[in-house]
Amino acid sequence: MLNDLYKIIAKVFSISESDVSDESGPKTIESWDSFNGLVLVDELENHFNVKFTISEITDVKNVADIKRHLKNHKVDLDE
Amino acid sequence: MILSKNLDDLKFDKKLKVAILSSFTLNGLDETFHVKCSEIGIRYQSYVADYNQYNQEILNSKSDFYNFSPDITFLILDIRSLLGDYFYFPYSISSAERKSLVKEKINELENLILQFKNNSSSTLVITNFNIPSYSPNGIIETKSEFGFHEMIHEINESLRNIVKNQNSIYVYDFNQFVSKYGEKNIFDYRQFHLGSIQIAFNYIPYFAYELMSYVKTMLGVSRKCIVLDLDNTLWGGIVGEDGFDGIELDQTSNGKAFVEFQKQLLSLWQQGIILAINSKNNFDDAMKVIREHPDMILREKHFASIQINWDDKAQNIKQIAEEINIGLNSIVFFDDDKLNQERIKQEFPEVLTVDMPNDPSQYSSILTNLNDFNALQRTEEDTKRGVMYAQQRQRKQFENTVSNLDQFLKQMDIKVKIKQSNGFLIPRISQLTLKTNQFNLTTRRYQEEEIRKFSKDENFEVGCAQVLDKFGDNGITGAYIVKKNETNWILDTFLLSCRVMGRGVEDAMLSHILKDAKNNGIEEFKAEFIPTLKNKPAENFLSDFGFRKHDNFWVYDLKNDIKSPNHLMVEIE
Repeated sequence: MLNDLYKIIAKVFSISESDVSDESGPKTIESWDSFNGLVLVDELENHFNVKFTISEITDVKNVADIKRHLKNHKVDLDE
Repeated sequence: MILSKNLDDLKFDKKLKVAILSSFTLNGLDETFHVKCSEIGIRYQSYVADYNQYNQEILNSKSDFYNFSPDITFLILDIRSLLGDYFYFPYSISSAERKSLVKEKINELENLILQFKNNSSSTLVITNFNIPSYSPNGIIETKSEFGFHEMIHEINESLRNIVKNQNSIYVYDFNQFVSKYGEKNIFDYRQFHLGSIQIAFNYIPYFAYELMSYVKTMLGVSRKCIVLDLDNTLWGGIVGEDGFDGIELDQTSNGKAFVEFQKQLLSLWQQGIILAINSKNNFDDAMKVIREHPDMILREKHFASIQINWDDKAQNIKQIAEEINIGLNSIVFFDDDKLNQERIKQEFPEVLTVDMPNDPSQYSSILTNLNDFNALQRTEEDTKRGVMYAQQRQRKQFENTVSNLDQFLKQMDIKVKIKQSNGFLIPRISQLTLKTNQFNLTTRRYQEEEIRKFSKDENFEVGCAQVLDKFGDNGITGAYIVKKNETNWILDTFLLSCRVMGRGVEDAMLSHILKDAKNNGIEEFKAEFIPTLKNKPAENFLSDFGFRKHDNFWVYDLKNDIKSPNHLMVEIE
């Protein structure tokens, strides 16, 4: 599942998977603008079958935050 | 101004400058346009105004937007921005106040359009407004005196009326777009609050696809002809195996789907789209169905070319294109067989081969979803086209019975009516410049607006020719534009629709123009031939007529006699 997450992030921002880490975020990835951020939300929701709230979305500063919110939605990333 | 990268579109010779003005965030529209233009061979340049800057951009005649001088402008507005708080509280004011509010908004829009027209010659596409499904008045909304929904309806109706008689301004029915894809899908509250997005980004590609209809049509990349297979395309089953009585048409659920498909095709035919058949079958078996089956909608007279044989389908398509005299890039091909689809795709990538689903109930929606059959205006010639092609078939048959060409031409009773441009003719003249590829000396494309300007300008002469013969009226099929300088005249545009080529009409037209020049005391008449991939048929026209090549121009010395064909009658109107 963690692998899936990294794959999706890499795809949305057109970067290589190895460049994705917990610290990755709008500040470190150039293509991570607000629009691509929304595209990421859409991809994650479809893949993990969850629905994020607006505050969850605006709260995300990096990949670690995404993991935290996914866990709150009962997505087990270690699976 | 941002240009999407990684698209090698500098090689395209068709260019288009697009401006996008909107009242809300439209991320992705620009990029999608760019890709879609690239797919059809158009070099795309864009100007995207910051959101909600449309008023300033349009009202300020020195704005960056006008500086960009777009060919086409999309003005995309939304009802929330237009009505402000009254979108939420329409019933906080009286019905009389609602009426005056709507009036005020319509005036604003009308003024915006007027200012735009004064400052720009760009084509304008303005979206109308979505009527939300919700109303605070609930089930009595439809009984409300000038209610919320009626307000927006009234705005849309007025917009339509404002634009109806304006050339090069169009209303895009955004309200229909929302109906098609569903309000709940298009409007996503989360995206709205996160980014002022009013068309959910996953629907932007569909939106772009719809707006591309204008782009394609403006640039003359529309399709003119639908080539159809028969078995399992126009009817269910295989006539050679199932027999005349065994095929499915109308009687079964499956059969109803084919009838529906045929009705949609007939409706396009009535709007001037040409139909043709390309089928592997015994000619007599298939024709019996077309002529005699009680449930057939399309009959022999609807088809401009009928290729029913056992030949290669690619060969047949080529034959059809030659017979109707259109380019392969004007053709859409419907065939249920995947192998045939593949064959045509490989042999003629310029043909639009439709991926047909296995289920015939989906045929109609595939057809009605294509945005390739548009016209920016529909002239009388367009709607009569189907009938004209039937006449053309008769002409061909007649030609085959007469052995010698001169004799044939004499017996055709050809009459050419030469007309000066006027308000009624301008749309057709523009259309001819946009569509004519073969007999076209310069292939200069002009929008209606430009033809209108030339027609008003006394330094230009704009004219056209209507061609009639014993089989009927071919309509306005020739056009020319002459630039009149003091000492010489230059032929800016000279073209003839391919269906009347080779009958001396071109000679009659040019002869008229040259005589006109001579009568005006001009001594030298200049013309150009600008070669393209398609205009070979016009290549030798000037030299055959007696023009001499001089530098970049072909020159006619007006001291010489001017020949004119004697097998046809010319009338100057």
